[in-house]
Amino acid sequence: MSLEKFIENFEEAVEDIEPGSLTAETAYRELEAWDSLAVLTVIAMVDAEYNVRLKADALKSCETLEALFALVSSRSES
Amino acid sequence: MSVAGKFENQQVLVVGATGGLGHAIARYLKREGAGLVLSGRNEDKLNASAQELGAGWLSSDLSSSAGRAQLADAVGMLDGVVFAAGVAPVAPVRYLKDSDLDACLNVNTVAPLLLARDLLKKKKLKAGASMVWISSVASSQGAAGYAAYAASKAALEAAARCLALELAPKGIRVNCIAPGMIETDMADAAAERISGDALEAHLKAYPLGAGRPADVASAASFLLSAESRWITGAILPVDGGFSIN
Repeated sequence: MSLEKFIENFEEAVEDIEPGSLTAETAYRELEAWDSLAVLTVIAMVDAEYNVRLKADALKSCETLEALFALVSSRSES
Repeated sequence: MSVAGKFENQQVLVVGATGGLGHAIARYLKREGAGLVLSGRNEDKLNASAQELGAGWLSSDLSSSAGRAQLADAVGMLDGVVFAAGVAPVAPVRYLKDSDLDACLNVNTVAPLLLARDLLKKKKLKAGASMVWISSVASSQGAAGYAAYAASKAALEAAARCLALELAPKGIRVNCIAPGMIETDMADAAAERISGDALEAHLKAYPLGAGRPADVASAASFLLSAESRWITGAILPVDGGFSIN
């Protein structure tokens, strides 16, 4: 489970994101493509790829993709 | 308004009685004099509801044939059946999990149909009985992320129409209620994947505002009662006008 792969998965999940355009520091909630469908899709992607069930609120609690990855990693191990 | 004695000497099975809608329906029917048998998966909650409503209860997993047979064996002769159990996985199709799709179709579509089959085979439905299946506005309105749920409910409605024809000669009626978003456990669960802002925007599409479980319960009561004796195979929207457009 790597941060790089997580960012790749995130880019693939959210519409209109160029592959390779995001970094660990990206503030994902400020992306133009970040809307309610993106929220739902990222939650479903995390469930499908990492078997972690996030709530919409959890996505609001993180700033960057690195922080979100850390959250998913911590849930995945528990 | 409820009428005491509307269901006097009548027995109604409420499946999914521990969910928000199922519980509200059971309460409403109790107020109108129905004898109740409650079914659900959460034994503690079911026991508490049964105590509150003076109802019989059986905790069974209706996604298994053994669970369905157990329930169909346990109940006495029924005047009505309400099927309010349901699950709503929310995911775009490209991230839909096999297990979520299976569970959704199994609980929402297969279980009510096969429970009806088992009750019929065991002759547990009186002539003139009424079955009410809880569907959803999602069956006829597309929404991103709801393919599994919408498919399960559309299939349920299609099955209800066919079963209504099969049972009409016995005077047994089958109808669906298609509620909009109601403040219940399932709406809460769906909301977990939907931001509060998006939910608020969605509720703006309801001309009469948000619905309550009792709004669905009163519709279920009507469809169970003799007041609706000439209605079968119908899908009744109970959605504050959401489906008008």
